[in-house]
Amino acid sequence: MKNFFVELYNYRELLKTNVKKEIRGKYKGSFLGVLWSFVNPLLMTLIYAIVFPFLLRNTTPHYTTYLIIGVLPWNWFTTVISQGTSTFLANAGIIKKVYFPREILPISVVTSGLINFLISCIIIAIFLICSGIGFSQYILFLPIILIAQYIISLAAIFVTSAVNVYIRDAEYIINFLIQMLFYATPILYTLDMFPVRFQKYLLLNPLVTIINGYRDIFYYQTMPNLKLLFTIIGSGIILLYICYKIFKKLEKGFAEEL
Amino acid sequence: MKKVEDKNAIKVKNVTKAFKLFYDKPTTLKERLVFWNKKKSDEHVVLKGIDLEIKKGETVALIGTNGSGKSTLLKLMTKIIYPTQGKIITNGKLTSLLELGAGFHQDFTGRENIYFNAAIFGLTKKEIDARLDDIIEFSELGEFIDSPVRTYSSGMYMRLAFSVAINVEADILLIDEILAVGDQHFQDKCFAKLKELKDSDKTIIIVSHSLGAVKMLCNRAIWLFNGEVQLDGKTEDVIDEYLKVCG
Repeated sequence: MKNFFVELYNYRELLKTNVKKEIRGKYKGSFLGVLWSFVNPLLMTLIYAIVFPFLLRNTTPHYTTYLIIGVLPWNWFTTVISQGTSTFLANAGIIKKVYFPREILPISVVTSGLINFLISCIIIAIFLICSGIGFSQYILFLPIILIAQYIISLAAIFVTSAVNVYIRDAEYIINFLIQMLFYATPILYTLDMFPVRFQKYLLLNPLVTIINGYRDIFYYQTMPNLKLLFTIIGSGIILLYICYKIFKKLEKGFAEEL
Repeated sequence: MKKVEDKNAIKVKNVTKAFKLFYDKPTTLKERLVFWNKKKSDEHVVLKGIDLEIKKGETVALIGTNGSGKSTLLKLMTKIIYPTQGKIITNGKLTSLLELGAGFHQDFTGRENIYFNAAIFGLTKKEIDARLDDIIEFSELGEFIDSPVRTYSSGMYMRLAFSVAINVEADILLIDEILAVGDQHFQDKCFAKLKELKDSDKTIIIVSHSLGAVKMLCNRAIWLFNGEVQLDGKTEDVIDEYLKVCG
Protein backbone atom coordinates (compact mmCIF):
# COMPACT_ATOMS: atom_id res chain seq x y z
CA MET A 1 0.00 0.00 0.00
CA LYS A 2 2.90 2.32 0.75
CA ASN A 3 4.11 1.50 -2.70
CA PHE A 4 0.87 2.83 -4.10
CA PHE A 5 1.42 6.30 -2.70
CA VAL A 6 5.08 6.40 -3.68
CA GLU A 7 4.26 5.45 -7.27
CA LEU A 8 1.42 7.91 -7.38
CA TYR A 9 3.72 10.64 -6.14
CA ASN A 10 6.41 9.78 -8.66
CA TYR A 11 3.93 9.86 -11.47
CA ARG A 12 2.06 12.96 -10.29
CA GLU A 13 2.89 14.79 -13.51
CA LEU A 14 1.27 12.05 -15.54
CA LEU A 15 -1.81 12.26 -13.37
CA LYS A 16 -1.92 16.00 -13.90
CA THR A 17 -1.51 15.92 -17.67
CA ASN A 18 -3.98 13.09 -17.89
CA VAL A 19 -6.61 15.03 -15.99
CA LYS A 20 -5.99 17.98 -18.27
CA LYS A 21 -6.26 15.78 -21.32
CA GLU A 22 -9.44 14.26 -19.97
CA ILE A 23 -11.04 17.66 -19.50
CA ARG A 24 -9.76 19.38 -22.59
CA GLY A 25 -9.16 16.58 -25.06
CA LYS A 26 -12.65 15.20 -24.88
CA TYR A 27 -14.30 18.09 -26.62
CA LYS A 28 -11.39 19.17 -28.75
CA GLY A 29 -12.61 19.99 -32.21
CA SER A 30 -16.20 20.68 -31.20
CA PHE A 31 -17.47 24.21 -31.47
CA LEU A 32 -18.53 24.74 -27.88
CA GLY A 33 -15.62 22.75 -26.48
CA VAL A 34 -15.53 22.27 -22.73
CA LEU A 35 -18.82 24.15 -22.45
CA TRP A 36 -20.54 20.95 -23.53
CA SER A 37 -19.95 19.43 -20.14
CA PHE A 38 -22.24 22.14 -18.75
CA VAL A 39 -24.69 22.47 -21.59
CA ASN A 40 -25.47 18.76 -21.41
CA PRO A 41 -26.71 18.64 -17.81
CA LEU A 42 -28.50 21.94 -18.34
CA LEU A 43 -30.44 20.52 -21.25
CA MET A 44 -31.17 17.41 -19.24
CA THR A 45 -32.50 19.52 -16.41
CA LEU A 46 -34.60 21.48 -18.84
CA ILE A 47 -36.25 18.32 -20.12
CA TYR A 48 -36.99 17.03 -16.63
CA ALA A 49 -38.26 20.41 -15.55
CA ILE A 50 -40.73 20.47 -18.42
CA VAL A 51 -41.85 16.85 -18.38
CA PHE A 52 -41.79 15.84 -14.77
CA PRO A 53 -44.31 18.29 -13.29
CA PHE A 54 -46.86 16.88 -15.76
CA LEU A 55 -46.37 13.34 -14.57
CA LEU A 56 -46.40 13.80 -10.84
CA ARG A 57 -48.20 15.99 -8.41
CA ASN A 58 -45.33 18.29 -7.74
CA THR A 59 -45.21 20.42 -4.66
CA THR A 60 -41.49 21.09 -4.55
CA PRO A 61 -40.89 24.84 -4.65
CA HIS A 62 -38.14 26.07 -7.01
CA TYR A 63 -38.29 22.73 -8.71
CA THR A 64 -35.70 23.60 -11.40
CA THR A 65 -33.17 24.56 -8.76
CA TYR A 66 -34.00 21.42 -6.85
CA LEU A 67 -33.39 19.45 -10.02
CA ILE A 68 -30.12 21.01 -11.03
CA ILE A 69 -28.60 20.36 -7.61
CA GLY A 70 -29.35 16.67 -8.12
CA VAL A 71 -28.56 16.44 -11.81
CA LEU A 72 -25.06 17.94 -11.71
CA PRO A 73 -23.58 15.59 -9.09
CA TRP A 74 -25.38 12.72 -10.78
CA ASN A 75 -23.83 13.79 -14.05
CA TRP A 76 -20.39 13.65 -12.43
CA PHE A 77 -21.15 10.15 -11.19
CA THR A 78 -22.41 8.72 -14.50
CA THR A 79 -19.66 10.29 -16.57
CA VAL A 80 -17.10 8.81 -14.23
CA ILE A 81 -18.64 5.37 -14.35
CA SER A 82 -19.11 5.21 -18.11
CA GLN A 83 -15.77 6.83 -18.96
CA GLY A 84 -13.98 4.98 -16.21
CA THR A 85 -15.29 1.59 -17.23
CA SER A 86 -13.96 1.93 -20.76
CA THR A 87 -10.79 3.83 -19.88
CA PHE A 88 -8.42 0.92 -20.41
CA LEU A 89 -9.95 0.04 -23.75
CA ALA A 90 -9.67 3.66 -24.82
CA ASN A 91 -6.02 3.73 -23.79
CA ALA A 92 -5.11 0.26 -25.04
CA GLY A 93 -2.34 1.77 -27.16
CA ILE A 94 -0.25 3.00 -24.29
CA ILE A 95 -1.11 0.14 -21.96
CA LYS A 96 0.49 -2.28 -24.36
CA LYS A 97 3.56 -0.22 -25.00
CA VAL A 98 4.56 1.68 -21.90
CA TYR A 99 4.71 0.92 -18.24
CA PHE A 100 3.12 3.36 -15.83
CA PRO A 101 1.01 2.74 -12.75
CA ARG A 102 -2.29 1.70 -14.31
CA GLU A 103 -4.33 3.14 -11.47
CA ILE A 104 -3.45 6.58 -12.81
CA LEU A 105 -6.15 6.19 -15.46
CA PRO A 106 -9.17 5.55 -13.21
CA ILE A 107 -7.93 8.11 -10.73
CA SER A 108 -7.65 10.77 -13.41
CA VAL A 109 -11.16 10.01 -14.64
CA VAL A 110 -12.64 10.63 -11.19
CA THR A 111 -10.45 13.66 -10.61
CA SER A 112 -11.29 15.33 -13.90
CA GLY A 113 -14.94 14.64 -13.10
CA LEU A 114 -14.49 16.34 -9.76
CA ILE A 115 -12.95 19.41 -11.35
CA ASN A 116 -15.72 19.55 -13.90
CA PHE A 117 -18.26 19.37 -11.13
CA LEU A 118 -16.58 22.11 -9.14
CA ILE A 119 -16.73 24.36 -12.19
CA SER A 120 -20.36 23.47 -12.76
CA CYS A 121 -21.09 24.57 -9.19
CA ILE A 122 -21.19 28.01 -10.81
CA ILE A 123 -24.40 26.89 -12.45
CA ILE A 124 -25.78 25.86 -9.08
CA ALA A 125 -24.78 29.25 -7.70
CA ILE A 126 -26.57 31.03 -10.54
CA PHE A 127 -29.73 29.03 -9.91
CA LEU A 128 -29.54 29.66 -6.18
CA ILE A 129 -29.26 33.39 -6.76
CA CYS A 130 -31.93 33.60 -9.44
CA SER A 131 -34.46 31.60 -7.44
CA GLY A 132 -33.83 33.77 -4.42
CA ILE A 133 -32.70 30.89 -2.23
CA GLY A 134 -29.23 32.31 -1.75
CA PHE A 135 -26.38 30.80 0.23
CA SER A 136 -25.78 29.70 3.77
CA GLN A 137 -22.80 28.75 5.90
CA TYR A 138 -23.66 25.06 5.39
CA ILE A 139 -21.86 25.24 2.05
CA LEU A 140 -18.72 24.68 4.12
CA PHE A 141 -19.72 21.02 4.39
CA LEU A 142 -19.36 20.58 0.63
CA PRO A 143 -15.86 18.99 0.83
CA ILE A 144 -17.17 16.15 3.01
CA ILE A 145 -19.82 15.28 0.44
CA LEU A 146 -17.31 15.57 -2.38
CA ILE A 147 -14.94 13.19 -0.61
CA ALA A 148 -17.73 10.67 -0.09
CA GLN A 149 -18.68 10.74 -3.75
CA TYR A 150 -15.06 10.62 -4.87
CA ILE A 151 -14.31 7.52 -2.83
CA ILE A 152 -17.45 5.67 -3.90
CA SER A 153 -16.94 6.45 -7.59
CA LEU A 154 -13.27 5.49 -7.53
CA ALA A 155 -13.97 2.21 -5.78
CA ALA A 156 -16.64 1.41 -8.35
CA ILE A 157 -14.50 2.07 -11.41
CA PHE A 158 -11.47 0.28 -10.04
CA VAL A 159 -13.51 -2.88 -10.42
CA THR A 160 -15.60 -2.03 -13.48
CA SER A 161 -12.65 -0.78 -15.53
CA ALA A 162 -10.62 -3.89 -14.80
CA VAL A 163 -13.47 -6.32 -15.38
CA ASN A 164 -14.34 -4.60 -18.65
CA VAL A 165 -10.94 -5.52 -20.05
CA TYR A 166 -11.77 -9.19 -19.68
CA ILE A 167 -15.49 -9.15 -20.33
CA ARG A 168 -16.50 -6.43 -22.75
CA ASP A 169 -20.16 -6.80 -21.85
CA ALA A 170 -19.49 -5.15 -18.53
CA GLU A 171 -19.80 -1.75 -20.18
CA TYR A 172 -23.35 -2.40 -21.36
CA ILE A 173 -24.51 -4.09 -18.20
CA ILE A 174 -23.18 -1.22 -16.15
CA ASN A 175 -24.81 1.39 -18.35
CA PHE A 176 -28.11 -0.32 -17.72
CA LEU A 177 -27.51 -0.52 -13.98
CA ILE A 178 -26.68 3.18 -13.94
CA GLN A 179 -29.99 3.97 -15.56
CA MET A 180 -31.75 1.89 -12.96
CA LEU A 181 -29.84 3.62 -10.22
CA PHE A 182 -30.97 6.96 -11.57
CA TYR A 183 -34.55 6.15 -10.69
CA ALA A 184 -33.54 4.71 -7.33
CA THR A 185 -31.93 8.00 -6.40
CA PRO A 186 -34.01 11.04 -5.49
CA ILE A 187 -32.97 13.27 -8.34
CA LEU A 188 -36.32 13.90 -9.95
CA TYR A 189 -38.36 13.32 -6.82
CA THR A 190 -38.00 13.85 -3.10
CA LEU A 191 -37.35 10.99 -0.76
CA ASP A 192 -40.43 11.73 1.35
CA MET A 193 -42.71 10.84 -1.56
CA PHE A 194 -42.07 7.28 -0.38
CA PRO A 195 -43.56 5.66 2.70
CA VAL A 196 -41.16 5.76 5.62
CA ARG A 197 -40.62 2.00 5.67
CA PHE A 198 -39.32 2.12 2.07
CA GLN A 199 -37.06 5.02 2.73
CA LYS A 200 -34.61 3.04 4.79
CA TYR A 201 -34.10 0.58 1.96
CA LEU A 202 -33.47 3.39 -0.44
CA LEU A 203 -30.87 4.73 1.96
CA LEU A 204 -28.79 1.60 1.35
CA ASN A 205 -27.84 3.31 -1.88
CA PRO A 206 -24.98 5.62 -0.87
CA LEU A 207 -25.88 8.03 -3.65
CA VAL A 208 -29.12 8.84 -1.86
CA THR A 209 -27.20 10.19 1.10
CA ILE A 210 -24.77 12.00 -1.15
CA ILE A 211 -27.43 13.68 -3.28
CA ASN A 212 -29.42 14.51 -0.15
CA GLY A 213 -26.25 16.04 1.25
CA TYR A 214 -25.93 18.41 -1.71
CA ARG A 215 -29.59 19.30 -1.36
CA ASP A 216 -29.21 19.95 2.35
CA ILE A 217 -26.35 22.39 2.01
CA PHE A 218 -27.51 24.15 -1.14
CA TYR A 219 -31.28 23.92 -1.29
CA TYR A 220 -32.66 23.29 2.20
CA GLN A 221 -29.77 25.12 3.84
CA THR A 222 -29.60 22.82 6.80
CA MET A 223 -27.04 20.58 8.40
CA PRO A 224 -26.31 17.58 6.14
CA ASN A 225 -26.64 14.15 7.71
CA LEU A 226 -23.04 13.91 8.87
CA LYS A 227 -23.51 10.58 10.59
CA LEU A 228 -24.55 8.93 7.34
CA LEU A 229 -21.94 10.78 5.31
CA PHE A 230 -19.11 9.68 7.57
CA THR A 231 -20.45 6.14 7.53
CA ILE A 232 -20.19 6.26 3.75
CA ILE A 233 -16.68 7.68 3.86
CA GLY A 234 -15.58 5.09 6.42
CA SER A 235 -17.05 2.07 4.68
CA GLY A 236 -16.06 3.65 1.36
CA ILE A 237 -12.40 3.57 2.32
CA ILE A 238 -12.62 -0.11 3.20
CA LEU A 239 -14.46 -0.77 -0.05
CA LEU A 240 -11.87 1.25 -1.95
CA TYR A 241 -9.10 -0.88 -0.48
CA ILE A 242 -10.84 -4.11 -1.49
CA CYS A 243 -11.58 -2.81 -4.97
CA TYR A 244 -7.98 -1.67 -5.34
CA LYS A 245 -6.76 -5.16 -4.43
CA ILE A 246 -9.06 -6.69 -7.03
CA PHE A 247 -7.80 -4.15 -9.54
CA LYS A 248 -4.18 -5.04 -8.77
CA LYS A 249 -4.93 -8.71 -9.36
CA LEU A 250 -6.64 -8.14 -12.70
CA GLU A 251 -4.20 -5.47 -13.85
CA LYS A 252 -1.43 -7.96 -14.59
CA GLY A 253 -3.21 -9.34 -17.59
CA PHE A 254 -4.21 -6.04 -19.18
CA ALA A 255 -1.54 -5.87 -21.86
CA GLU A 256 -2.32 -9.41 -22.97
CA GLU A 257 -6.09 -9.08 -22.97
CA LEU A 258 -6.37 -5.75 -24.74
CA MET B 1 25.12 -9.85 0.03
CA LYS B 2 23.31 -6.55 -0.31
CA LYS B 3 26.20 -5.10 -2.24
CA VAL B 4 26.21 -7.83 -4.83
CA GLU B 5 22.51 -7.32 -5.31
CA ASP B 6 22.96 -3.61 -5.90
CA LYS B 7 25.35 -4.07 -8.76
CA ASN B 8 22.62 -5.63 -10.81
CA ALA B 9 20.39 -3.38 -12.80
CA ILE B 10 18.11 -6.22 -13.77
CA LYS B 11 17.89 -9.67 -12.35
CA VAL B 12 15.81 -12.27 -14.12
CA LYS B 13 15.15 -15.29 -11.93
CA ASN B 14 13.97 -18.46 -13.57
CA VAL B 15 11.35 -16.69 -15.64
CA THR B 16 8.83 -18.61 -17.68
CA LYS B 17 6.20 -16.91 -19.76
CA ALA B 18 3.37 -18.75 -21.41
CA PHE B 19 0.75 -17.11 -23.56
CA LYS B 20 -2.66 -18.49 -24.13
CA LEU B 21 -3.30 -19.07 -27.77
CA PHE B 22 -6.96 -18.61 -28.44
CA TYR B 23 -8.61 -20.27 -31.36
CA ASP B 24 -11.48 -17.91 -31.11
CA LYS B 25 -11.08 -15.67 -28.16
CA PRO B 26 -14.28 -15.07 -26.23
CA THR B 27 -14.57 -11.42 -25.34
CA THR B 28 -18.25 -11.21 -24.62
CA LEU B 29 -20.26 -12.81 -21.91
CA LYS B 30 -22.43 -14.64 -24.39
CA GLU B 31 -19.43 -16.28 -26.01
CA ARG B 32 -18.07 -17.23 -22.63
CA LEU B 33 -21.33 -18.80 -21.58
CA VAL B 34 -22.20 -20.51 -24.83
CA PHE B 35 -18.75 -21.90 -25.50
CA TRP B 36 -17.75 -22.56 -21.93
CA ASN B 37 -16.98 -26.21 -22.59
CA LYS B 38 -15.13 -25.67 -25.81
CA LYS B 39 -11.41 -26.10 -25.64
CA LYS B 40 -10.49 -22.52 -26.14
CA SER B 41 -6.81 -22.18 -25.82
CA ASP B 42 -3.43 -23.74 -25.99
CA GLU B 43 -0.46 -22.78 -23.93
CA HIS B 44 2.35 -21.37 -25.91
CA VAL B 45 5.52 -21.17 -23.90
CA VAL B 46 7.60 -18.26 -25.12
CA LEU B 47 10.28 -18.16 -22.45
CA LYS B 48 11.49 -21.20 -20.57
CA GLY B 49 13.25 -20.69 -17.29
CA ILE B 50 15.41 -17.72 -18.19
CA ASP B 51 18.08 -16.72 -15.70
CA LEU B 52 19.95 -13.50 -16.32
CA GLU B 53 21.86 -10.90 -14.43
CA ILE B 54 22.51 -7.60 -16.08
CA LYS B 55 24.94 -5.40 -14.26
CA LYS B 56 24.74 -1.67 -13.94
CA GLY B 57 26.41 0.14 -16.80
CA GLU B 58 26.29 -2.79 -19.18
CA THR B 59 25.08 -2.41 -22.74
CA VAL B 60 23.47 -5.65 -23.73
CA ALA B 61 22.02 -6.81 -27.01
CA LEU B 62 19.33 -9.43 -27.24
CA ILE B 63 19.57 -11.23 -30.54
CA GLY B 64 17.77 -14.14 -32.06
CA THR B 65 15.43 -15.09 -34.83
CA ASN B 66 11.82 -13.94 -34.94
CA GLY B 67 9.74 -15.59 -32.29
CA SER B 68 12.64 -16.42 -30.05
CA GLY B 69 11.20 -14.40 -27.19
CA LYS B 70 13.35 -11.28 -27.27
CA SER B 71 10.53 -8.78 -27.26
CA THR B 72 8.60 -10.75 -24.69
CA LEU B 73 11.59 -10.65 -22.38
CA LEU B 74 11.83 -6.91 -22.88
CA LYS B 75 8.15 -6.45 -22.14
CA LEU B 76 8.52 -8.49 -18.97
CA MET B 77 11.37 -6.26 -17.86
CA THR B 78 9.24 -3.14 -18.32
CA LYS B 79 6.38 -4.69 -16.34
CA ILE B 80 3.92 -4.37 -19.19
CA ILE B 81 3.30 -8.07 -18.89
CA TYR B 82 4.07 -10.34 -15.96
CA PRO B 83 5.86 -13.69 -15.88
CA THR B 84 3.89 -16.90 -15.51
CA GLN B 85 6.60 -18.16 -13.21
CA GLY B 86 9.70 -16.64 -11.71
CA LYS B 87 10.60 -13.12 -10.86
CA ILE B 88 12.20 -10.05 -12.35
CA ILE B 89 13.86 -7.50 -10.15
CA THR B 90 14.83 -4.14 -11.55
CA ASN B 91 16.96 -1.62 -9.81
CA GLY B 92 16.67 2.00 -10.87
CA LYS B 93 14.48 4.14 -13.05
CA LEU B 94 13.53 2.31 -16.19
CA THR B 95 12.44 3.63 -19.56
CA SER B 96 11.38 1.51 -22.45
CA LEU B 97 11.17 2.33 -26.10
CA LEU B 98 9.03 -0.46 -27.38
CA GLU B 99 7.23 1.65 -29.85
CA LEU B 100 7.89 5.26 -30.62
CA GLY B 101 5.14 7.71 -30.02
CA ALA B 102 2.90 5.36 -28.10
CA GLY B 103 0.59 7.63 -26.20
CA PHE B 104 0.92 10.65 -28.42
CA HIS B 105 -2.31 12.54 -28.57
CA GLN B 106 -3.02 13.50 -32.15
CA ASP B 107 -4.78 16.79 -31.47
CA PHE B 108 -2.16 18.16 -29.12
CA THR B 109 0.87 20.07 -30.29
CA GLY B 110 4.34 18.63 -30.32
CA ARG B 111 5.23 20.63 -27.26
CA GLU B 112 2.21 19.41 -25.31
CA ASN B 113 2.97 15.88 -26.34
CA ILE B 114 6.48 16.21 -25.01
CA TYR B 115 4.99 16.95 -21.63
CA PHE B 116 2.50 14.15 -21.89
CA ASN B 117 4.95 11.58 -23.17
CA ALA B 118 7.66 12.46 -20.68
CA ALA B 119 5.07 12.29 -17.92
CA ILE B 120 4.28 8.73 -18.95
CA PHE B 121 7.93 7.98 -18.37
CA GLY B 122 7.50 9.33 -14.86
CA LEU B 123 9.06 12.77 -15.09
CA THR B 124 7.80 15.73 -13.12
CA LYS B 125 6.98 19.10 -14.62
CA LYS B 126 10.21 20.58 -13.36
CA GLU B 127 12.30 17.83 -14.87
CA ILE B 128 10.53 18.16 -18.19
CA ASP B 129 10.98 21.94 -18.20
CA ALA B 130 14.68 21.44 -17.69
CA ARG B 131 14.92 19.07 -20.65
CA LEU B 132 12.44 20.76 -22.97
CA ASP B 133 14.98 22.73 -24.98
CA ASP B 134 17.22 19.70 -25.39
CA ILE B 135 14.32 17.62 -26.59
CA ILE B 136 13.12 20.19 -29.11
CA GLU B 137 16.61 20.79 -30.36
CA PHE B 138 17.34 17.11 -30.69
CA SER B 139 14.14 16.55 -32.64
CA GLU B 140 15.03 19.32 -35.13
CA LEU B 141 11.37 20.14 -35.48
CA GLY B 142 11.87 23.88 -35.17
CA GLU B 143 8.67 25.85 -35.50
CA PHE B 144 6.58 22.73 -36.10
CA ILE B 145 6.83 21.95 -32.41
CA ASP B 146 3.72 24.06 -31.86
CA SER B 147 1.62 22.37 -34.53
CA PRO B 148 -0.68 19.47 -33.74
CA VAL B 149 1.03 16.12 -34.02
CA ARG B 150 -1.52 14.87 -36.55
CA THR B 151 -0.05 17.25 -39.10
CA TYR B 152 3.41 15.70 -38.77
CA SER B 153 5.00 13.45 -41.33
CA SER B 154 5.90 10.02 -40.02
CA GLY B 155 9.54 11.01 -39.94
CA MET B 156 8.84 14.07 -37.80
CA TYR B 157 6.64 11.98 -35.54
CA MET B 158 9.38 9.44 -34.98
CA ARG B 159 11.99 12.09 -34.41
CA LEU B 160 9.93 13.75 -31.72
CA ALA B 161 9.15 10.45 -30.02
CA PHE B 162 12.76 9.36 -30.03
CA SER B 163 13.93 12.71 -28.73
CA VAL B 164 11.61 12.50 -25.75
CA ALA B 165 12.53 8.96 -24.86
CA ILE B 166 16.25 9.40 -25.22
CA ASN B 167 16.28 12.52 -23.08
CA VAL B 168 14.41 11.03 -20.16
CA GLU B 169 17.72 9.98 -18.62
CA ALA B 170 16.59 6.79 -17.01
CA ASP B 171 19.07 4.45 -15.35
CA ILE B 172 17.93 1.57 -17.51
CA LEU B 173 16.94 1.98 -21.13
CA LEU B 174 15.15 -0.79 -23.00
CA ILE B 175 15.03 -0.43 -26.76
CA ASP B 176 13.15 -2.64 -29.18
CA GLU B 177 14.33 -2.46 -32.78
CA ILE B 178 13.95 1.21 -33.31
CA LEU B 179 17.44 2.24 -34.25
CA ALA B 180 16.25 2.95 -37.76
CA VAL B 181 14.61 6.30 -37.14
CA GLY B 182 14.57 9.06 -39.71
CA ASP B 183 17.19 9.81 -42.31
CA GLN B 184 20.88 8.96 -42.16
CA HIS B 185 21.72 12.19 -40.41
CA PHE B 186 19.23 11.61 -37.64
CA GLN B 187 20.19 7.96 -37.29
CA ASP B 188 23.80 8.95 -36.78
CA LYS B 189 22.71 11.41 -34.17
CA CYS B 190 20.69 8.80 -32.31
CA PHE B 191 23.58 6.45 -32.46
CA ALA B 192 25.91 9.05 -31.05
CA LYS B 193 23.45 9.78 -28.28
CA LEU B 194 23.20 6.11 -27.39
CA LYS B 195 26.97 5.89 -27.26
CA GLU B 196 27.02 8.88 -24.98
CA LEU B 197 24.48 7.24 -22.68
CA LYS B 198 26.46 4.04 -22.72
CA ASP B 199 29.59 5.87 -21.62
CA SER B 200 27.70 7.65 -18.86
CA ASP B 201 27.11 4.44 -16.96
CA LYS B 202 23.54 3.80 -18.00
CA THR B 203 22.31 0.29 -18.48
CA ILE B 204 21.02 -0.28 -21.99
CA ILE B 205 19.32 -3.34 -23.39
CA ILE B 206 18.71 -3.45 -27.11
CA VAL B 207 16.71 -5.88 -29.15
CA SER B 208 17.94 -5.66 -32.68
CA HIS B 209 18.48 -7.44 -35.93
CA SER B 210 21.01 -4.96 -37.21
CA LEU B 211 24.06 -6.81 -36.04
CA GLY B 212 26.43 -4.15 -37.27
CA ALA B 213 25.00 -1.56 -34.94
CA VAL B 214 24.89 -4.05 -32.11
CA LYS B 215 28.56 -4.84 -32.56
CA MET B 216 29.52 -1.20 -32.28
CA LEU B 217 27.32 -0.44 -29.32
CA CYS B 218 27.16 -3.42 -27.04
CA ASN B 219 29.78 -5.18 -25.01
CA ARG B 220 27.62 -8.16 -24.23
CA ALA B 221 25.15 -10.09 -26.31
CA ILE B 222 22.57 -12.67 -25.37
CA TRP B 223 21.33 -15.01 -28.01
CA LEU B 224 17.86 -16.32 -27.40
CA PHE B 225 16.68 -19.40 -29.19
CA ASN B 226 13.21 -20.87 -28.73
CA GLY B 227 12.78 -19.15 -25.41
CA GLU B 228 16.07 -20.24 -23.96
CA VAL B 229 19.44 -18.60 -23.64
CA GLN B 230 21.58 -20.20 -26.30
CA LEU B 231 24.69 -18.18 -25.71
CA ASP B 232 25.66 -15.29 -23.49
CA GLY B 233 28.95 -13.53 -23.75
CA LYS B 234 31.08 -11.00 -25.60
CA THR B 235 29.23 -9.45 -28.50
CA GLU B 236 31.65 -10.55 -31.23
CA ASP B 237 31.74 -14.15 -30.07
CA VAL B 238 28.00 -14.43 -29.74
CA ILE B 239 27.34 -12.83 -33.11
CA ASP B 240 29.90 -15.09 -34.81
CA GLU B 241 28.21 -18.16 -33.39
CA TYR B 242 24.81 -16.79 -34.24
CA LEU B 243 25.77 -16.14 -37.83
CA LYS B 244 27.18 -19.65 -38.17
CA VAL B 245 23.76 -21.05 -37.37
CA CYS B 246 21.41 -18.45 -38.76
CA GLY B 247 23.52 -16.68 -41.34
